[in-house]
Amino acid sequence: MTQIVSADRRLAIEEAAARVIADPANSRVAAGLLAEEIADEAATHGVRSFSDSIAATHAEGLVQDSLAAFVAAHAEELNALVDDDADERFEYFGLRTVYDRYLLRHPATRAVLERPQHFFLRVACGLSDSVEEAAELYRLMSGLAYLPSSPTLFNSGARRPQLSSCFLLDSPRDELEGIYDRYAQVARLSKYAGGIGIAWTRVRSRGSLIRGTNGHSNGIVPWLRTLDSSVAAVNQGGRRKGAACVYLETWHADIEEFLELRDNTGEEARRTHNLNLANWIPDEFMRRVEADADWSLFDPKAVPHLTDLYGDAFDQAYRRAEAEGLATRTIPARTLYGRMMRTLAQTGNGWMTFKDAANRTSNQTARPENVIHLSNLCTEILEVTSDAETAVCNLGSINLAAHVAGGGVDFARLRATVRTAVRFLDKTIDLGFYPTPEAERANRKWRPIGLGVMGLADVFFALRLPFDSPQAQELSTRIAEEIALAAYDTSADLAVERGPHPSYGDTRAFQGVLHPDHYGAATSVAWAALRSKIAKTGLRNSLMIAIAPTATIASIAGCYECIEPQVSNVFKRETLSGEFLQVNRYLVRDLQERGLWTQEMRDAIKRADGSVQDIPGVPADLRLLYRTAWELPQKALIDLAAARMPYIDQSQSLNLFMASPTIGKLSSMYAYAWKSGLKTTYYLRSRPATRIAQTTVTAQEAVACSLENPEYCEACQ
Amino acid sequence: MLLDPGMDLTLRPMRYPDFYERYRAAIRNTWTVEEVDLHTDLADLPRMTAQERHLINRLVAFFATGDSIVANNLVLNLYQHVNAPEARLYLSRQLFEEAVHVQFYLTLLDTYLPDLDERIKAFAAIENIPSIRDKADFCFKWIDSLGDLRELRSREDRRAFLLNLICFAACIEGLFFYGAFAYVYWFRSRGLLQGLATGTNWVFRDESMHMEFAFSVVDTVRAEEPGLFDADLDKQVVEMLEEAVAAELAFARDLCGDGMPGMSAEQMRQYLEYVADQRLARLGFGRRYGTANPFAFMELQDVQELANFFERRVSAYQVAVEGNVTFDEAF
Repeated sequence: MTQIVSADRRLAIEEAAARVIADPANSRVAAGLLAEEIADEAATHGVRSFSDSIAATHAEGLVQDSLAAFVAAHAEELNALVDDDADERFEYFGLRTVYDRYLLRHPATRAVLERPQHFFLRVACGLSDSVEEAAELYRLMSGLAYLPSSPTLFNSGARRPQLSSCFLLDSPRDELEGIYDRYAQVARLSKYAGGIGIAWTRVRSRGSLIRGTNGHSNGIVPWLRTLDSSVAAVNQGGRRKGAACVYLETWHADIEEFLELRDNTGEEARRTHNLNLANWIPDEFMRRVEADADWSLFDPKAVPHLTDLYGDAFDQAYRRAEAEGLATRTIPARTLYGRMMRTLAQTGNGWMTFKDAANRTSNQTARPENVIHLSNLCTEILEVTSDAETAVCNLGSINLAAHVAGGGVDFARLRATVRTAVRFLDKTIDLGFYPTPEAERANRKWRPIGLGVMGLADVFFALRLPFDSPQAQELSTRIAEEIALAAYDTSADLAVERGPHPSYGDTRAFQGVLHPDHYGAATSVAWAALRSKIAKTGLRNSLMIAIAPTATIASIAGCYECIEPQVSNVFKRETLSGEFLQVNRYLVRDLQERGLWTQEMRDAIKRADGSVQDIPGVPADLRLLYRTAWELPQKALIDLAAARMPYIDQSQSLNLFMASPTIGKLSSMYAYAWKSGLKTTYYLRSRPATRIAQTTVTAQEAVACSLENPEYCEACQ
Repeated sequence: MLLDPGMDLTLRPMRYPDFYERYRAAIRNTWTVEEVDLHTDLADLPRMTAQERHLINRLVAFFATGDSIVANNLVLNLYQHVNAPEARLYLSRQLFEEAVHVQFYLTLLDTYLPDLDERIKAFAAIENIPSIRDKADFCFKWIDSLGDLRELRSREDRRAFLLNLICFAACIEGLFFYGAFAYVYWFRSRGLLQGLATGTNWVFRDESMHMEFAFSVVDTVRAEEPGLFDADLDKQVVEMLEEAVAAELAFARDLCGDGMPGMSAEQMRQYLEYVADQRLARLGFGRRYGTANPFAFMELQDVQELANFFERRVSAYQVAVEGNVTFDEAF
């Protein structure tokens, strides 16, 4: 009998979820039913309270003994913390994501052994030494005000608590052993759900002489093929596929073949479908593109020093190498730049990241031997690497939507959230399990963290600020500044409590220079006070702010991703657990209030691919507010990012959107991004040239020509 | 006129630039079978019920031959009679896409059916499984309906050709395939067979284009030779769609048996009638059924995807990009 009830409920969930577009309230209905389903499922293993869930997961060997002991010792207090009503904050997609991917399951029956609120409290307890501490983090999480990154959500309290999101590996040395050692490191790091960034600039290019055998090298492509297979083979605990991004400096002689690695035409033996690709670009290249000058390509074997230099030192060394005739080839800089733009348009890959901007302003590069060689899988982390040090970053993001109150952002509450978040991010450095010694060494030495945001678009919708308005830019910059001030201040407090990070003496902060100083953006009284405080205390963390894409945790929180505009007023999310419909609930609420949310309106928005621009009957103010990423000027996205840059000491995952990219538009856009001082950019998003015929909107009748149907008859307009 | 016999070679001036634009848009959406990751589906197959596995095996057997049949009609009839070089460019491109689909479904079959005998049986389904054989017979009947017609001289010739064109667009690509895709998306709505769903998205995108191209050929002919369209043609198209709905419904009964939660032959009947009405409306004929769409999960098909790279491959990228490096364009 229970089986039948459950099957009916599942069907009811699917039906409600599929009707979200008609009324977004169906999302909460579906979520409510799913919460019941989850509670029943957990009850099949006797799990009702939080302490039950820890006992059950501990019995199956899924959580640490120390966590089980902590919970057993404080069972009553902790059980009292659980706020079951907090489940009502979930949208269906968020709860579904938690259920499908985050809740711990019985190894044999696959039934969940915890409820969503147990999961949040388990994560909090895994990072806490006292009930008070756990309560502080749990309340932020259950309020969906702050969420740690997925690896922390997956692994906090687990037997192997790998809590870090990203790893950045320096290029392997130009030798067989070094390359194979890197494959092994990548595999170990990937296994525990970390995203990989890896440079390949030190490895010799095609045609280079190999002394040991007197043969010639095949260049980097065959090595990257092996990396591609290795990454695909390591499945992150069945939860998601491994993912990696390879960085190559623009002067490497194999750059053109590198840019073709993701093409879906050509020789399969020279393609890597699983790797992401990024360009690590010196300013010298961009200057030569502007000047329409030549660009020289080198075999790294001939110029091994170039990748460890930036700024003037790089420029001089590069020109000297050219003068000495060491170049393998010389091509017009614009030809290569055009090729980069083509790769972006065709594959969305080949991200444009800027080596000099990244190094010039980094707190970690005060000494010349400390150089940033790459960014990470999502282009928001910028940390120094070497053969002995694999950079690591632990991430978490504040849901800005949860900090809107009374027609504005509640900055006092935002600062309080930052303080808690920074303290816990700092703790993850000590509690985490590190799959390689190189990663552990670097993370304990530099102690970087990456606090980010999500839901910026929600804030703009809630406060009715068009994305490209001056008020939006001002608010977004203020938010970034407040977060940076509170984060640095907390890290200074932590330095007093627990000591500055061991390499503090090697940082620019030690010399009195904070990140916003590079932009002349720390002139206020608050920054002056903070600077003198840090001069006395030091900092617990060398880097603190990074805006990650938040793809999964934004779905849990039910907000728009990081700093991104919405891509459509109606869209589906494709994930490992199926596809889900999402509709802009702010727009729906506005249209409902004006009596405009009708079946015709829904069909019209779907027919227009989620746009409201050309729909008769949508008022002008709503059209302006509810433009999609495809309809906003991309200059506005870049300007917003550049304006907050002084307060982002690492970087931001900045996607750019262009429905029908051309080389001309792209080359203008990325040149502007570089000139604006952005350190990195992320995907170029474009749209399919053709699309699927819609099945669920009423077909437009064929209308030959009729004055009665002026809307459909272009001849009459 | 478009259906006048001959082998027109003139592209300048171009008579039907819309066909040429469709050809170029199709090229920008090139995808390859190697980009689809099917192996994750293998973990799902053993978790399915016997009825669901039966459904999948039948579906794979249908896919094994479906696109080859469409390609055959394209070569034997459409390319012969649509007399504009820009339209033939599109058809050449469509032929390539059909080949990619054939390769995709072959790869699917090889992946899902490790046993060689099972693979042979799947290809023999077109002879041995009545519900698949009947659909194929329907297709063959319409491929052969033009007989040895080398030129469309008479009004009757042209009407016969229109019926063939409409049959392959509205009934075969626009109904048989749409029915098959619905099963795939039903699985996906439950988080199953993501690999198949990804490939199906791309096949679906191509099929949508094929159908729209065929319909715009019909529109063009209607504008050029309105006399070809009358109540009699209307009636023949409706009868043809009724026949297609009946054949696809028999297939649905075979696939669904007594039905599964969220998928039954009865729901499929409603869906097919709903889709058939869409086709009739698009062609400018009246609706026949007035049935509503029963499958809420098909709503997902109508809206943009937002994939992230940790999940499946984003399918939105374009193949041909134009222009030169400049610094003063608006963006």
